Amino acid sequence: MAGMDCDKCLERLYPYLDRELDERELAEVKRHLDDCPPCEGSYVFERRFLDLIRDSCTQDVAPSALRERIVLRLRDLR
Amino acid sequence: MAAERAADAFETEALSFLDALYRTALRMTRSEAEAEDLVQETYIRALRFRDQFTPGTNLKAWLFRILTNTFINLYRKKQARPETTELDDVDESSLYRHMTGSSTAPASPDPEAALLDSTVAPEVTSALEELPEKFRTVVLLDVEGFAYKEIAELLDIPIGTVMSRLHRGRKFLQKRLYDLARERGIAAVRAMPRPAD
Repeated sequence: MAGMDCDKCLERLYPYLDRELDERELAEVKRHLDDCPPCEGSYVFERRFLDLIRDSCTQDVAPSALRERIVLRLRDLR
Repeated sequence: MAAERAADAFETEALSFLDALYRTALRMTRSEAEAEDLVQETYIRALRFRDQFTPGTNLKAWLFRILTNTFINLYRKKQARPETTELDDVDESSLYRHMTGSSTAPASPDPEAALLDSTVAPEVTSALEELPEKFRTVVLLDVEGFAYKEIAELLDIPIGTVMSRLHRGRKFLQKRLYDLARERGIAAVRAMPRPAD
């Protein structure tokens, strides 16, 4: 089977990182990354970038006053 | 009694998603006061339409669907900040490739790491708030752990549209973070050429 080329690998990088590929495609991307240092570099960069986005966006918590207000409203509505 | 227990269980489970709903609302409305109103309205509607929810299915997705629909129907119209709807064409190639492929010798052996290391959460969230709404919503739902298919169902859009909005949204964020790093004068980043528009 012919290996995946770099363009195809980079095109599949986000679905790969997002765990959205089927097993066959996942194995193809993984094989290409193992053999291709530049694509592996892109993969590491994108993975760290997605971690940064996720970590930055999940720091906020709801104010406790909002929680209390919602609980009271829901009790009223029952 | 059984009905009351069921209502309690529903509320308890629904409230376990409060933080996730609030931070998503915060990024969608870009206002703490509006985010609070939007989340409260989401819970009120959830309780009102509770009979439409099938127990055992994905409550988190159901609540986020109510949140996004409520936002579109009630809040989007009165947004203080004007919304852009489209993204200028962002460079589709990887920023990483752009940096490493440049002929300019980088000031640091690892400029991409310098970019990511120097970026702080408020820069990421403000860059995210600059994203046009349809891209921002998809990025936010991804951040909250929804799969492409779930996002497609939540927003009633094709899965291919989810993928392309996610891709373009992420590339836009990379470019903004790169610009911010340069403005801050991160030496390693300053030495890199700006990605093409």
